[in-house]
Amino acid sequence: MAAKLIIAVPSKGRLKETTGALFERAGLALRKTGHERGYSGIMPELDGVEVAFLSAAEIVHQLKAGRVHVGLTGEDLIRDTLPDVDGTVQFLAPLGFGRADVVVAVPDCWVDVSRMADLEDVAAQFARVHGRRLRVATKYLNLTRRFFANAGVAGYRIVESVGATEGTPAAGTSELIVDITTTGTTLAANHLKVLEDGLILRSQAHLFAARGAEWTKGAMRLRDAIVERLAANSS
Amino acid sequence: MAAESARKFEALEAQAATLLDVFKRGGYEQVAPSIIQPADIFLDQIGEAIRGRTYVFNDLSGEELCLRPDLTVPVSRLYVERHPRADVEARYCYNGPAFRFQQKGASQTHPREFRQAGIECFGVADRNNADIEVVLLAFDAVRAAGLKEFRFRFGDIALFFALLDALSLPERWRLKLRHYFWRPFAFHALLSRLAKGESANCDGPAAELAATLPTQDGALAAETVATYLEANDLLLAGNRTLGEIAERLLDHAADLRAEPLPRDVATVIDYFLAVEASPREAIDRIAMIGKGAGIDLGPALYVITRRLDLLEECGVNIDAASFATEFGRDLEYYSGLVFQIEVGGDKTSPIAGGGRYDGLLRSVGAPAEVPAVGSAIHTERLLACVKGLA
Repeated sequence: MAAKLIIAVPSKGRLKETTGALFERAGLALRKTGHERGYSGIMPELDGVEVAFLSAAEIVHQLKAGRVHVGLTGEDLIRDTLPDVDGTVQFLAPLGFGRADVVVAVPDCWVDVSRMADLEDVAAQFARVHGRRLRVATKYLNLTRRFFANAGVAGYRIVESVGATEGTPAAGTSELIVDITTTGTTLAANHLKVLEDGLILRSQAHLFAARGAEWTKGAMRLRDAIVERLAANSS
Repeated sequence: MAAESARKFEALEAQAATLLDVFKRGGYEQVAPSIIQPADIFLDQIGEAIRGRTYVFNDLSGEELCLRPDLTVPVSRLYVERHPRADVEARYCYNGPAFRFQQKGASQTHPREFRQAGIECFGVADRNNADIEVVLLAFDAVRAAGLKEFRFRFGDIALFFALLDALSLPERWRLKLRHYFWRPFAFHALLSRLAKGESANCDGPAAELAATLPTQDGALAAETVATYLEANDLLLAGNRTLGEIAERLLDHAADLRAEPLPRDVATVIDYFLAVEASPREAIDRIAMIGKGAGIDLGPALYVITRRLDLLEECGVNIDAASFATEFGRDLEYYSGLVFQIEVGGDKTSPIAGGGRYDGLLRSVGAPAEVPAVGSAIHTERLLACVKGLA
């Protein structure tokens, strides 16, 4: 029986380009099979590897379901989506790109607010004046809930936001946000500042293994070969 | 989850009929609010914690909805729909499904889909009588369903607020303590921080700016903040106003100048919140705590004593009940009496619960505060108990 391992890599978004280059440098070029717009491919250098081109979010779901053995995606998505991270995936290798911090940011005109502890006070005042809770715009529902709970902040509610989150406080549809930032430029341009203790997660692209996948000896050998070559080529 | 057996279904239906019959004879009209509710109201009222145990979803139009996690909010909305001016008395009863995600997995005592039967009493100005009416009707209902022995545990949120009002405190601390009451862990941290005279945030630009603000004049302070924002190229955006930002800075400045919260005031609050005893004994202890602190809790305590007398007149064995000052601290919309009916010393799976929530109706659209009190029975638990005891 031919050894077989399925690896999922991002098909679009900020991780896509770097991913292709990374594998190429490691001598493991990815090649699409069939149509150029198709979603499956191979690693010509490693026999038995099947490549699935998926969105970064979909990769998390496929890892969870065990339908792929190995997947490349952002730690932020893994930590936000999976209720039991360590029971579901194994961290094979950090890849050194796709770096982004998940942070709590508030309007920079809030000169009275610099830490998480201020937020509950603001929530109390906001409820008194406006009759409702602070709204936090984010796509990171679970990361936000856990982080706020640990910080003792409860007087808020989440409004889900899948794009242009940083624009929502100025637009009046949220009061603050939880979002990713790399350089802080976008936040600053939108008159937002990160709270001093508002760093939720330093995320980067990782290679993950699905604990629920079918791990034959052949699949394990292929997994180790991929990790080894990637490690040899990262400095 | 195994499909519900036909026998259990029939037993629940029969029990529901009994409960509703008691409610209707008590003057409560049966209503059936929508199962699918706007998620907004629950998230705004109960907070993000509820999302963790509520089935929230978006429909095809993008509207954020939920399967109702309880029936009090839906019935309150129904009242405001029927009576937009919220100026009439109304008594409603119901029996229907509610849905809660169970983080530790669904179980017999904590199913994800369960039926609540209950009552809500709106607009009755005589609060003490309405409270008693609801408690007694809940007792009658569970008894009619066959429950012979149970324990009545209760508290009164208004008592804590009365204590805060009576203690000598700066208003900004009173407001803070009121808010943090609902977050027991943070409350404790705040109390010890105030007692130590520590300010939450005593460095950084906020402190410098706060020190320059005119303390006696809110409008002038707001102007100063506006000038500061302009000078530092900070754009005022979003829903918080200059006034709100200035107010917090002024509070902050006042904290820096203030003497710490006297240790004995913090102790009084701690002692008060530790009271848990049979009701008469609890009242005596609270009165003593008040006396020791030189404050008058008389009117608030009178309301509770009067409630005990009324319950006793109606044949309730008060000495077997339990009163705790902390009870009800986990559901933010309660404003007065909070109670539950327990069996076999199990505090975490009450057969029924309820309380007063005068502030809720305004937040679902009533033009003003409306007296409201209600109770809900967890019918699966009631049935299991009755069967077990029979």
